Amino acid sequence: MAKEKRVKGEWKRLTVQAAAFLLQNPKLHNFFLGTIDTGKTKVLCAPGLNCYSCPAAAGACPIGSLQSALTPRKPSFPFYVLGFLLLFGVLFGRWICSHVCPFGLVQDLVYKIPFPKKVRTFKGDRVLRLLKYAVLLVLVIALPLFDTLKPYFCKYLCPSGTLFGAIPLTLTNPMLRGQIGFLFWWKVGVLVTLLLLSLLIARPFCRYLCPLGAIYGLFNRFALLGLTCDASTCVNCGACETVCPMGIDPRTQFDSTECIRCGRCVRACPTGSLARRFGFRPDAHKKSTI
Amino acid sequence: MKRSVRIGLLTALAITGAAFLLYGIFTGQAIAVLQKAIRVCLECIGIG
Repeated sequence: MAKEKRVKGEWKRLTVQAAAFLLQNPKLHNFFLGTIDTGKTKVLCAPGLNCYSCPAAAGACPIGSLQSALTPRKPSFPFYVLGFLLLFGVLFGRWICSHVCPFGLVQDLVYKIPFPKKVRTFKGDRVLRLLKYAVLLVLVIALPLFDTLKPYFCKYLCPSGTLFGAIPLTLTNPMLRGQIGFLFWWKVGVLVTLLLLSLLIARPFCRYLCPLGAIYGLFNRFALLGLTCDASTCVNCGACETVCPMGIDPRTQFDSTECIRCGRCVRACPTGSLARRFGFRPDAHKKSTI
Repeated sequence: MKRSVRIGLLTALAITGAAFLLYGIFTGQAIAVLQKAIRVCLECIGIG
């Protein structure tokens, strides 16, 4: 049975993920009531892919809100949602994916289950990663603009909405349960497929489909929070590459749009060549030339 | 990326983000987000 490569201190990130889940979803009692929160905190966008139809959610989903802003009868430029995305992006980049996103946490937990084979990367992996940009441009932006009142990403693809919104609500609310049809089962199918894939490969949704990850990835090169690699002390042992859940080589791709800033490579590095950087101060290490 | 370029880009994007956010609040987009978020999104849960 192949297991996820263990890295010291991984529990700290899991604790942050669990805390972030509770901060974004504090109204846990709503899971038993079959209703959603209607508080004013929902005026704020959550940083991660946190469905606003999750009974416990106290914030709005940024992707859902973006689609919603693009689909009214009188289309308007979504200043408000883009403001949130820009600020989250410049501050944290894809650190949000590894530490704040609830569906990221679920995928991480499923990947921890031992499975006969764990796949790091495969032929076609790099091309498939481009899919998330297509999802962003086509399902989130283009289609809702042309076909009003249809948030295509939420409606046909979003697994976070199915797991945290659809399943708990239909289990506890008989009125909603009575309306289940093909679309519901399609979404459950997407969710189950992604969870099964998560047994084999780390974070398949983040790698190939997440439009929010695609947006935050664009900020990775210059976000306040990032990574550096010191080529002069690196011994090329490959420990960082082995533990990277996104299947990249942190020695040369520490500024990649694919890096989720989980910090596994930093903790695995035996020489301390990889380090986190934060803020405007000069990089702790010189940029890698490996 | 040069440090000065990074600082410039970060500052410009942060200011743009803050300006977008404020403009969105003053033009009622924040209320629109709230109104959408406090209703069960039937599309999100595979019913609508």
